[in-house]
Amino acid sequence: MEYERTFAISASGMTLERTRVEMAALNLANANTVAGPDGNVYQPRRVVATRAFADAVTQGLSAPSMSLEVTQQAPRMVYEPGHPMANAKGFVAYASVDAATEMVSLMSAMRSYEANLAAMTTSRNLALKALEIGGNQ
Amino acid sequence: MSEQALAAVSAITAASPEAAANISLEPVGAKSAASGAGFGDMVTQGINHVNQQLMVSQTDLQQLSVGNAQNLHQIMIRLEESRLSFQLMMQVRSRLLEAYQDVMKMQL
Repeated sequence: MEYERTFAISASGMTLERTRVEMAALNLANANTVAGPDGNVYQPRRVVATRAFADAVTQGLSAPSMSLEVTQQAPRMVYEPGHPMANAKGFVAYASVDAATEMVSLMSAMRSYEANLAAMTTSRNLALKALEIGGNQ
Repeated sequence: MSEQALAAVSAITAASPEAAANISLEPVGAKSAASGAGFGDMVTQGINHVNQQLMVSQTDLQQLSVGNAQNLHQIMIRLEESRLSFQLMMQVRSRLLEAYQDVMKMQL
């Protein structure tokens, strides 16, 4: 039925937004991690949804094709001479997670999720209203 | 995002002309009598479809209660789908009953 496809479109959008929330949570959780002994520091990740999105929607309830891209950013150097992971100059390499960016992406993901939900609810209400045609007035 | 949404919508509109073409204006009975399937078969098919959807949502609910839910919104959407098809079945049933009762009340 048609409304199932509308639901599938909204569901794909909701899946995408949920993944964005998960990524923001992961980035925030790693905000205060330092580089390990190998010198590798956590790099913030971004969700990238591609154009194949629309094709996936027509297949029913399927997830949009999205990929997680690791951003390449210089670590945040903080001067903490007493830190066990400090380098020779007393700097510690922290993950370069920008808390403000993550909060904004959390917010926009939530609003987009709500928008998808509103679209889904509207199509559901349309279907329910259509079922009232010819009913008892 | 808007391009993707446009593409999705155009996919739907591309699909609907076929659906419209499939609808013929002949009465259902005449067509189904030719193919050998009666109205009862159609109703049975519809009820089977509704039952299938209800079974799917039951499985989803079981998965949810066990803690295997990967996508909460997909479960809720499937629940909504089964609710809609159930409501459609109830509407068909009430129309049928109404017609039956009208016929039974007919003065001879």
